[in-house]
Amino acid sequence: MEGSRLVKEFTKGLWKEIPPFRFVLGLCPTLACTTAVRDGIGMGLCLTFVLVCSNVLISLLRKVIPAQVRIACFIVVVATFVIIVELVTQAYFYPLYMALGIFIPLIVVNCIPLGRAEAFASKNTVIYSLADGLGMGLGYTCSLTALAIFREIFGKGTFLYHHIMWSGFEPFAFLQKPPGAFVCLGLMLGIMNLIGSGEK
Amino acid sequence: MGHEVWTFSDYIMLVVSGVLVNNILLIRFLGNCPFLGVSKKMDTAVGMTFGVIFVLTCTGPITWFVEHYLLERFDIVYLETLAFILTIAVFVQLVEMVIKKVSPGLYRGLGIYLPLITTNCCILGTCFYNIRFKFGFMPTVVFSFASALGFGLALIIMAGIRERFHYARIPKCFQDTSIGLITAGLIGLSFFVFAGLAK
Amino acid sequence: MEVLKATIYPVLVMGGLAAIYALGLGIAARIFYVYVDPRIGEVEELLGGANCGGCGYAGCSDCAAAIVEGKAPVNACVAVGPDKWEAIAKILGVSVEAGERQVAMIMCRGAKDKAKRKFQYMGIEDCRAAILAGGGDKECQYGCLGLGTCVKNCPFGALTMGEDGLPKVDKDKCTGCGTCTRVCPRGIPKLVPVSLKIAVICSSHDTPPVVKKICEVGCQGCGLCKKACPEKAITIVNSLSVVDPSKCTLCGKCFEKCPTGAIQQLLPA
Repeated sequence: MEGSRLVKEFTKGLWKEIPPFRFVLGLCPTLACTTAVRDGIGMGLCLTFVLVCSNVLISLLRKVIPAQVRIACFIVVVATFVIIVELVTQAYFYPLYMALGIFIPLIVVNCIPLGRAEAFASKNTVIYSLADGLGMGLGYTCSLTALAIFREIFGKGTFLYHHIMWSGFEPFAFLQKPPGAFVCLGLMLGIMNLIGSGEK
Repeated sequence: MGHEVWTFSDYIMLVVSGVLVNNILLIRFLGNCPFLGVSKKMDTAVGMTFGVIFVLTCTGPITWFVEHYLLERFDIVYLETLAFILTIAVFVQLVEMVIKKVSPGLYRGLGIYLPLITTNCCILGTCFYNIRFKFGFMPTVVFSFASALGFGLALIIMAGIRERFHYARIPKCFQDTSIGLITAGLIGLSFFVFAGLAK
Repeated sequence: MEVLKATIYPVLVMGGLAAIYALGLGIAARIFYVYVDPRIGEVEELLGGANCGGCGYAGCSDCAAAIVEGKAPVNACVAVGPDKWEAIAKILGVSVEAGERQVAMIMCRGAKDKAKRKFQYMGIEDCRAAILAGGGDKECQYGCLGLGTCVKNCPFGALTMGEDGLPKVDKDKCTGCGTCTRVCPRGIPKLVPVSLKIAVICSSHDTPPVVKKICEVGCQGCGLCKKACPEKAITIVNSLSVVDPSKCTLCGKCFEKCPTGAIQQLLPA
């Protein structure tokens, strides 16, 4: 019984409540950091780290934090882990750091860590919060990667910065630009809704 | 962007750049979550716009002060993220308290968006850009105001279009967010007209 | 020394900043303290929460504030039932009289195949828009246009559009908030007591020759029902038949005489 609930909390983030498609949260990095597959995976993993750590810490502190200042406390906890991620990427993954730019520190105001903290971690025990954070984070990474694969292959003709399309291929540069990101995400969301409703 | 002497025309170019060429929402991708939530009706969009303009124009310079006179003085610039978000959250809380007391009418129209604005990436993002672009004090104020104006412009255009969607025949799977995103992309495409007008 | 600086400074500076902010907010909270009657929150919890506007106030918080201040009656919120009214009355320490629940009824039977159309309308799917195009595509100037403005605007999802082009009311979901009546450009949905037994389901004030030409099921105002009624419960007002339910005994003579079936029994006898 406990085990199945754990599995349920973990897997819901992977399909049924996957951000950003079912839970419309965390749109800014989805649009900005998916021009290349490496950036998409990198951003997803950074967010997963922050989400898991902040979920666990907030769950541990949930009985201690007073209700009136809880949003401020959540923000401070998330900010701490974001700074850690920022410094680690700056030191060990510099090209990724340069590519993601200000979106790494912007994880602190990303709706996903704050939303899950408010809705889940502050009301559940540590082990379930860990599963929830891990599931949502990995689901988010998958979404980003899927979008990034599409945008990079058709928008630039490369995959992980290796050319994989035939030599005469004219890349669809629109997909690499900001409007292309919006349109691409909108269409993917529509298709996912179509698949989702078919499943029901 | 970080030149020493700013002339009036430089400021005008900064405003054009912030509002049109590098629109904070459609080109720089900041502020999307409330964008899709609040743009369903025109009056919520206008309320959000005024809220963002007020908060951003004030917190831009305030965070600039925190960065230059506190973090740099003690060489703890790496805590920028924490210091900025704390400052923004506290400022918004203060403004909410004051408005609630001073003008309940304004609170009803505007106050409910203030908590939403705290976690708006547009606010924090613009504060970061002020530092990254190495702006002085006056350019910070102008850039913050221009970014907020750009956010408002995109939001109001979007709200105007989305109100019409209520009566259009959209396939079920594309309704709400999906068609909103596609529309945002097409509006952004039209903003490309301004590319090259300013740096 | 360097290590000490690197660890102590951040703690001191951030701690100091946080302390100043906390102090500032604490002082501001005292200076800008606004007294909010706690009963307003309790009453608001008991209200419908749909912000339908049926009470006449701008949303549920507004209505709650008005009820607590005494400006609105305890049963101002039509969307919740008498048991909620009693709970609200208990919070305020007053009593409440129960009124009868009202539901919406669509006063038109002019389905797609029964009422004539002037032209084919292909504009925005909204009755308020259609009425701007030459008064709507129906020949009858009083009839339901069937584009579903009421359905789209019902805050409780009690209305659905039928296959025949007329909206259908789910009496269990309908709370009688009156939104449908307000948004319909012709005011065709009317609020009636839920126990109403007989009604003329038509809104047309056109004269008999006109109605005969444009609608198979409309009330022509011919007066046959009025002549047939033994209790004198029926009158004709501006070519539209009106029944007084308090006099009606459901004898059924008017149903027999009506040439179009506009007058109908609503509840089983």
